[in-house]
Parts: sequence; structure tokens; C-alpha cells
Amino acid sequence: MATQYIIPIASGKGGVGKSTVSANLALALAKTGAAVGLMDADVYGPSIPTMLGITKPPEVDASNRIKPVEQHGLKVVSMGFFMKPGEAAIWRGPMLHKTVQQFLTGVAWGDLDYLIIDTPPGTGDVTLSLCQSIPLTGVVIVSTPQDIALNVAQRAIAMFKKLNAPILGIIENMSHYVCPRCGQREEIFGVGGARKTAERMAIPFLGEIPLSTPIRVASDEGKPIVLSQPESPGAKAFTAVASHLAAQAGLRAQQGAQVKVTF
Amino acid sequence: MSNTQAIPVEITRAGERDVKIRWQDGHESVYPARELRLKCPCAGCLDEVTGALRLIASSVPQDVHPLKIEQVGRYAVTIRWSDGHHTGIYAFDYLRKVCPCCSDKRQATSDKRQVNA
Repeated sequence: MATQYIIPIASGKGGVGKSTVSANLALALAKTGAAVGLMDADVYGPSIPTMLGITKPPEVDASNRIKPVEQHGLKVVSMGFFMKPGEAAIWRGPMLHKTVQQFLTGVAWGDLDYLIIDTPPGTGDVTLSLCQSIPLTGVVIVSTPQDIALNVAQRAIAMFKKLNAPILGIIENMSHYVCPRCGQREEIFGVGGARKTAERMAIPFLGEIPLSTPIRVASDEGKPIVLSQPESPGAKAFTAVASHLAAQAGLRAQQGAQVKVTF
Repeated sequence: MSNTQAIPVEITRAGERDVKIRWQDGHESVYPARELRLKCPCAGCLDEVTGALRLIASSVPQDVHPLKIEQVGRYAVTIRWSDGHHTGIYAFDYLRKVCPCCSDKRQATSDKRQVNA
């Protein structure tokens, strides 16, 4: 597999919208003409298949590699493909590590410009395995604006720094709510917290995504908002974030990660 | 952590057995093979809680040397040793910290300070 940019989408806290952000960013990048893979590494709660409306399981090619499911122009592999509905993944670390390896090397991704990886929340086995297995381009951190989420996000950032995985930037999700009836802007979780955290930690701020019913509905229906309502404020926010992300990825890639090891 | 000091450009062989690292800031470190084996940071060799050395130096062969060095993500290497040991993950900043010539220098400065005092 030849992939130009490998970008995990991570968070400290759960429920901040990593999967919604991953799916929409992947689609926004694909719209620019890039070849994009989306790997759903959230073993505990894989939600990418639902968000992209994937119902058929992947096939296996002649050399026994998993063929990613092609949906909405993305190549997709998810833990959800290999679990029965309603079943739980009750796995210890070594199993998780093996699965991550399988998804990286046992999948016929082909040539990709971007591989976006939706990760489980926190600083657990999957995220650690990813950092140890491949030279990542950099990590995107998703957080809601409230302090409690940002505090945990900072722990995740500290982990990535320790593992020398560059942080490509922070995205503030559920940034504010615009009432569809009166148009009033309501800042449910506060606003600007992620931007301030990014400034303080000297990390790029990639943008704000509003808390909006159409984004949620589009994801539940299997056709994320970037596809279904490209002119909506939500879709435009994702598109703007994706272009900032692409720029950061380009910058990071130039700084070079690969050490020449000859021993 | 991601300062240029602790980022290697090239990791290669020095002589028969030793390991040489060329760093982004131009510095070159040469690690005698056995010394590097004795500095293995894995939980078997170094107590995770107390940081005390658990590895018994006399159990490590005099001619121990790396068989294979592989990169781990963007932050470390792992070394497969001739004595069968392979569980150590040597982070780049750790390797830089234990660079033999730099730690000699640090030792020398602290010695000098003691003399001056």
C-alpha cells in the first residue's frame, strides 16, 4: 500500500463526534478529487458503516486480503463488518493490536492520497498500536468546547507528543447551535474553548463545526451532510476544515518522518 | 519532545557490532553494543515502578550485538539482540539522553563543578 497521508481522528473524551467528523472530512477530501480510505478502528462502537449506509460485507481477494467496501467514493473498512449486530467486542490488548495490524497490512487499500482513521476515544491500545505500527502523518483532535472535554483532550495530546506523532490540529465540534426556526445562535457547551486551547498549546486550530440537526440526521440516514446537503452551513464548515487539514498534512509530510535504518 | 535534537536522520552500523545514530542537529552518537543492551528500557530489564535495574549484567554475553533494528512509529526503534532479547522500545529522546559522548560531557562538567567547589 502506498499512502501519502495517514491521519487518525482522535479525542480524549468519547461522544464528541469523532465518527461524524471522520466521515464528513473523508468525503470532503474525496470531493477534491483525492483517493481516500476510511478505516473505522473504533472496535467498541463502530459506527462508520451506519453513517455511510454500508450494508454489504467486504470481499476477500485472491491473495486473501480484505477488499475495502467502496461507498460514496471512499474505500472503507470497519470493525463493524466483522461483528454481528448487537455483539460486543470484549477484547484484551493483544487482540486489538492484531486487528489494527490486519487493517493496516491485510487490507488491499491500493494507492491512497489520504487514509483517515476513526479511533476509539482516549489513549488506549488501538491508538497506541497505530502510533507504534506506522509513521503517521499526524493526528487530528476533536473536542467539544467545554472544559471537561478539553482537559481530557490535552491528555490525549500529551500522549501523541510522547510518541512523536505530530498534532495536525484541533477541531471544535458541537461548537454552537443555530435555532432552525428563529436563527438565534445558542452556545450550549460554551464557545471558543478549543481555539483557546489550540493557541495555548501552539497547535493549529482547524475550525468549528456547529451542533446541528441536519448533520445528525444525515449521518443516521447513511448519507453524511457533505454529500446530501453540500450547500448547508454544516457541510461548508466540514469543507473548510478539510482544506485546512489538507494544508497541514502537506506541511507535516515535508518535514519528513522516515528515519533511514540500515542495520 | 519533537525538538530537532531528538530526531535521528540515520541509524546505521559502527564497526562490527556498534550502533551509530546521526541526528537532525548534526550530532553523531556511537553506542557500544553491549552498553546499549544493558540500557534496555523494557519492563523486564528495568523495574517499571522503581526504575531500578533488574537486568543482571553478568547474564549478558560480552559479545552481544543487535541482529536487526526496526523503527517503531515515529518515535522509537526496537532492537533484536543476539542474546534473544527483543522487547525493548528505545525512544529517540531516550537514546539521545544516553548518548555516550554527551553523558560523558555532562559527567565531566559536573566533575569540574565539584573540583571548583
